[in-house]
Amino acid sequence: MFRHTSLRFWALGLIAAAAVLRALTAEYFGVEMVAEIAILAILVIALDMVAGFGGMVSLCHGALMGAGAYAYAMLTVKVGLAPSAAFAGAIAITGAASWLIGAVCGRSHGIYFIMATLAFGQMGYSLVFEQPVFGGDDGVSGVPRIDLSLIGLDLNDPRTFAFACLFVLGLVYWFATHVLQAGLGRTLTGIMHNEQRMRALGVNVWRIKADMFGLSGMIAAAAGALAAQHVMFVSPGLLNWTVSGEALVVVILGGLGTIIGPVIGAIAFVMLKHEVSAHTDYWHLVVGLILIAVVMSRANGIFGWLEQRLSRARPSSARDVIAHQVRKDLAAQGALEDA
Amino acid sequence: MQADLGFWVLQGLNALQLSMLLFLLSVGLTVIFGLMHFVNLAHGSLYALGAYAAATAGAAIGFWGGLLVAPFAVAALGVVLYLVFIRRMRRAGPMAQVLVTFGLIFVMLDLTRIVWGAQALSAPVPALLDGRLTILGVEYPAYRLFVIALGLAIWGVLALVLGRTQIGAMIRAGVDNDSMAACMGIDVEKMFFLVFCVGCALAGLAGAVAAPLLSVTPDMGLQILIPTLIVIVIGGLGSLKGAIAGSLIYGVVQTFGAVLFPQFASILIYGLLAAVLILRPAGLFPAKG
Repeated sequence: MFRHTSLRFWALGLIAAAAVLRALTAEYFGVEMVAEIAILAILVIALDMVAGFGGMVSLCHGALMGAGAYAYAMLTVKVGLAPSAAFAGAIAITGAASWLIGAVCGRSHGIYFIMATLAFGQMGYSLVFEQPVFGGDDGVSGVPRIDLSLIGLDLNDPRTFAFACLFVLGLVYWFATHVLQAGLGRTLTGIMHNEQRMRALGVNVWRIKADMFGLSGMIAAAAGALAAQHVMFVSPGLLNWTVSGEALVVVILGGLGTIIGPVIGAIAFVMLKHEVSAHTDYWHLVVGLILIAVVMSRANGIFGWLEQRLSRARPSSARDVIAHQVRKDLAAQGALEDA
Repeated sequence: MQADLGFWVLQGLNALQLSMLLFLLSVGLTVIFGLMHFVNLAHGSLYALGAYAAATAGAAIGFWGGLLVAPFAVAALGVVLYLVFIRRMRRAGPMAQVLVTFGLIFVMLDLTRIVWGAQALSAPVPALLDGRLTILGVEYPAYRLFVIALGLAIWGVLALVLGRTQIGAMIRAGVDNDSMAACMGIDVEKMFFLVFCVGCALAGLAGAVAAPLLSVTPDMGLQILIPTLIVIVIGGLGSLKGAIAGSLIYGVVQTFGAVLFPQFASILIYGLLAAVLILRPAGLFPAKG
């Protein structure tokens, strides 16, 4: 279950302050980076909700984000809906689709779940790629941003847009932590720890998994709709499975099952990407090596490592037990599958 | 045009050729998973490396030399990967394995770019197989027939080894129940190492065979990975029968889908995969009942 420890409060406050300061003072490029980080952070919070608290390691969250982006683009450009209605529509459509994916894939565990989500993600990718309605390889361009002139804001201004992204990120953080602390989140974590026992207690397991996956998909769609507005353009590359893989990398880099960790992971990932790309073309080599090092070090990412260091004096805290349990359970699930 | 026999023969051969290529890749991956529950996403990268090794060696010592060198070169890399990463990740659970091998994909993608550049290499078809043969009134490139024959031959050899020899019986025992096999005195770890090397060599061979058919690019491994995973999930993880059945299904659906329903070819295959996962979550021919 998710708990707000003092370390998490401090980290959250520090990140919020740094983000606002950066969005206020940075030049154009820095402001764009704030928006990019905020969008990625929204996506990885969605992924951490299901992977870190439900053991549902999804390789289709990139595709869900892409679906949200495409839904927003199609509803505004091709259907002609008002951007704010399209934003809500994109979240609803993608949420429904991801609820279905969760309902179908929820029956499988471990590697089968990973493969099943990968299959659905790729299905979406080829759907968008091959159907002429979606513009094929060229994608859809001319995607408008939401018009907030009623309250005196112009989202076409990069700084305002970055603040809007940060605002949505804050909202998503609040929503995700509340869902995880509510009955749904607690039940899901119970299922992750012992599905058999939860079933014996009368819990409708597939329903819980599908509900959480649906909510997670809605958040991913919000990230997608923001991404579409950010670059004002969508292309099939958004739905490619490597995007989902990168999102998983960010979650692992930050710390699985900590919510705040993935946000830190997103900051580290985007900053590292810009830093490395400035020096070499081989960005993938660097990210691959970092990923391997993080996973093989067995620490739970940057934030997990930090929490472990700071809580070493105290008797083993609940979150360490959870992080440990996630690993154990995932391994046990794999073994059970094959038995 | 779709009514005449020639069309079906031609597309049937195309399907078979794609199936055999996928079979070479998926059989190694599926047996590695079946034996040790290890998920190796980097299998596609090994295939790309095999293609590069064959193209490079082929330029120096001819196609047949390249075809011979590639499996050994990739198996050698497999040994390194095994010693550095895979042995340590054996008990780490599927997520950690997926992540580490996903990292390996990125690393190998850029390493091939650094060594061979981003330009596509081309590998020539050997003179011996350059022509066309006529089968049932259809002219078909001899090289593609060679790919089909090679795939069938490898299938035959593997079926023989797995089904009729002692080492095959030991591998099947390991897939069925590895702790029990270990209790019976089988060195499961050593067997896994052997199977892993053979799987890598087959991936290298697949790359070498594919090099003259497709252009050799750094991301060819990423492109083949998803079809390979689909094959083993449809077929069932861990079984030779599953690998060949999955390959044939994928080859037929993809080839005929692309000709008959061009708009829906890929969606057809992913839809099939989803259906299999829902109805038979363990695949059509799982190694264990």
